[in-house]
Amino acid sequence: MAPLTPYTFIQCPCSDPSTLASSRPADASSPTSISGQERDDDDGRTFDPRAPRSNYSLYPLEYLLYCEDCHQIRCPRCVSEEIVTYYCPNCLFEVPSSNLKSEGNRCTRSCFQCPICIGPLGVTSLEKPADANLLAAPDNAASPPSGPYILICSYCNWSSTEIGIQFDKPNSIHAQLAKMRNGGVTRLTAKERKEKRREAAAQSGTGVPPTAAPTTTGGDGQDLDVEAQFANLKHFYQGQLADANAAGASSLSSLGDLGFASPNSLSRIMSIYTGGSLHDKKAKTRVGTMREALDSDEGFKLADLDESGAIEKLHEEGYDGTVSSEQLSNQPPNVGEVQLHGRSRFASELRPIPYLLRTKRSKRCPICRHIISKPEAKVQTTRFRIRLVAGSYIPSIAIRPLPGGGPPPDTLQPLRPAQFLLTFKNPIFETVKVTLASPATTPGRFASKVTVLCPQFEIDANTDVWDEALNKDGDKERRRRKGEDSGSGPAGGGQAEAGKIWERGRNWVSIVVEVVPASLRPPTISFGKKEDTGPLREDEDVLEIPMFVRVEWEVDAGGDEVGSVPSKDKDKEAKEKRELAYWCVLGLGRVSQG
Amino acid sequence: MSKRHSIVPPISQAGPKPPVQFSSSITIADSAVLTGSNPIVIHSESVVHPRARLESLGGRITIGRRCVVHERSTVGAVGTEGRVTENGVTLGDYVTVEVAASIEAGDTVIGDGTTVGVGAKVGRGAVVGKHCTLTPHTVVAAGEVIPDFTVIYSNGMRRMDKRGVVELKNKGQARQIEVLRRMIPSNPSKFQ
Ligand SMILES: [Zn+2]
Ligand SMILES: [Zn+2]
Ligand SMILES: [Zn+2]
Ligand SMILES: [Zn+2]
Repeated sequence: MAPLTPYTFIQCPCSDPSTLASSRPADASSPTSISGQERDDDDGRTFDPRAPRSNYSLYPLEYLLYCEDCHQIRCPRCVSEEIVTYYCPNCLFEVPSSNLKSEGNRCTRSCFQCPICIGPLGVTSLEKPADANLLAAPDNAASPPSGPYILICSYCNWSSTEIGIQFDKPNSIHAQLAKMRNGGVTRLTAKERKEKRREAAAQSGTGVPPTAAPTTTGGDGQDLDVEAQFANLKHFYQGQLADANAAGASSLSSLGDLGFASPNSLSRIMSIYTGGSLHDKKAKTRVGTMREALDSDEGFKLADLDESGAIEKLHEEGYDGTVSSEQLSNQPPNVGEVQLHGRSRFASELRPIPYLLRTKRSKRCPICRHIISKPEAKVQTTRFRIRLVAGSYIPSIAIRPLPGGGPPPDTLQPLRPAQFLLTFKNPIFETVKVTLASPATTPGRFASKVTVLCPQFEIDANTDVWDEALNKDGDKERRRRKGEDSGSGPAGGGQAEAGKIWERGRNWVSIVVEVVPASLRPPTISFGKKEDTGPLREDEDVLEIPMFVRVEWEVDAGGDEVGSVPSKDKDKEAKEKRELAYWCVLGLGRVSQG
Repeated sequence: MSKRHSIVPPISQAGPKPPVQFSSSITIADSAVLTGSNPIVIHSESVVHPRARLESLGGRITIGRRCVVHERSTVGAVGTEGRVTENGVTLGDYVTVEVAASIEAGDTVIGDGTTVGVGAKVGRGAVVGKHCTLTPHTVVAAGEVIPDFTVIYSNGMRRMDKRGVVELKNKGQARQIEVLRRMIPSNPSKFQ
């Protein structure tokens, strides 16, 4: 089994209803005023990192944000997101949100993915096969490339010639592709189809649906694609509705008006899909049933149950010629092929995939609605305008095994004490007081003993490295403190001592945690109590310590910002106490099962 | 700056110096590594990049015309079996062995115009057909026979390449070799 890298996960307060309540905006102004009762609650309850619920509330520090107004940690689960920009990940063009409605959520420029392997497709001109003499003089290829153009995948060498598609121009591929079916057959766009229909209607001279079949949709309707069929059906039923309206003045009952064949239901259904344009105030007056579509011009299409063609093709091309479900799910919808009675099943029926658009999002605090993360709107920049990451407000915790301090040992031996060094690094410009609390034994079936040797200590402010070097006062202060609780670490003999920190630096402190891992043998006999005697579950051998961290510091009362540098000439009384408390989980390593 | 120097220390020429048979038109970088005891044959206009390894311990290595063997690739790696055969690896014409690809020795054949992708592995005794594409990190098992024009994906999926652009590809390869010859200082005499 792979050795486990020690980790620290922090619990977001959103997973705990009581803490969420305590950080309402009213309380936020004085975060220290957590009522005594709540504190008792906190003390009485140990967070269990193995509880199924914990899966949803534990995050590495890097995933967390921090609200400066509520003074609280915020996680990806509780922030509310707003979309700032839509853009194409391939050409990095921003797409206005108004275009999304009309053109969908895919790039409409020339950005496509390979339908076989989703690699990016490039446009190249389809050159004539080279003459033999070209090898001798390869430089004569300098002439500008001319059409036809194809899309080609540089990763797997798929090209659009395999589905019979070539382009006349190297640009606006999306528009060209929209007019083409696989095999190069032209396909009518919705607009053209409408015009065709209008022409046909004009020719027949009446307003009723044309009886003459449009040229592209054959009389038998076999090459009626999904879009054309829908257009025909829609037209037919609209005509039917108009007729019903004209005739239906004698309605009495609406009870018989609920079948699929009734104009009323139909107009209701169609208004769902067409955004209410068909909604009719007179709907109540309609009556009776309408006739159904009868031929392809009316959108009628016989199900093609003869699959011998597909079977023959399968014989020819074999399994490699078919598409995987993954490839199918990547296909853009409504590509206009004959697919109503079974989606594309062969690789030759796949279409180049226009890139799905991506978004940039800003994040808001769920309680006070302040923005806590906002990316630069410009697509090309990866910078953020606002980004309040938790890492710049709460101390980070690094873990390493004590003797040696090298890479962690593969496993921890059960029942043998092991020491770990926790290094707390203070990111803010104030000195913080840290109080740690952890249960004496870890929760769960296998209770390991935990001792935090120094549960209370102060970490110096994250001052400028140069400030520290130049400011003698700070140095003296440090020395004074060192005198009172000098580290027991390398400088102080190298023996971990209770109540003493291990080592101290500019803005960090390391302390020692001692653990006695439990034996991983599931209890074989249950002593009266209902005990779980099941075998070892997944990751149950990982030694995880729940730890409650309370950080206290003082800020200028005037300055609202936590991270602001305090001005030197201000009175001490103007300071305001701040506090932040949270549960975290320290994963130390796997316990050996030997 | 006329020359860029690699910070990686030069690879020591371990093992015996193999007998070589080079065409006069090949390009072979000074820092390519040729080891083994069996002959290494490189035909006309092929390019061997710096730090490419040709190992003939497991049998003779034959590289066809206009092949490109990229950096850190290994042609003729002696597999776990360590068997010696007469023909270790045979590359056809217009073969590209991409960066960090590895071809095991043991009657292994790579057909004309085939590209062995970045980090791909071809097992001992595999016969890869002509004009195949092994996409990056593909693994071809030992002894496998791959038909011509096959595209192999790293997830094991296969497909036939129906473009019919063999001529075009060969032309591209020739053009690339033109450029490479100007960029890679050749030193065949070092190995002879
Ligand atoms: Zn949360
Ligand atoms: Zn795009
Ligand atoms: Zn592809
Ligand atoms: Zn807030």
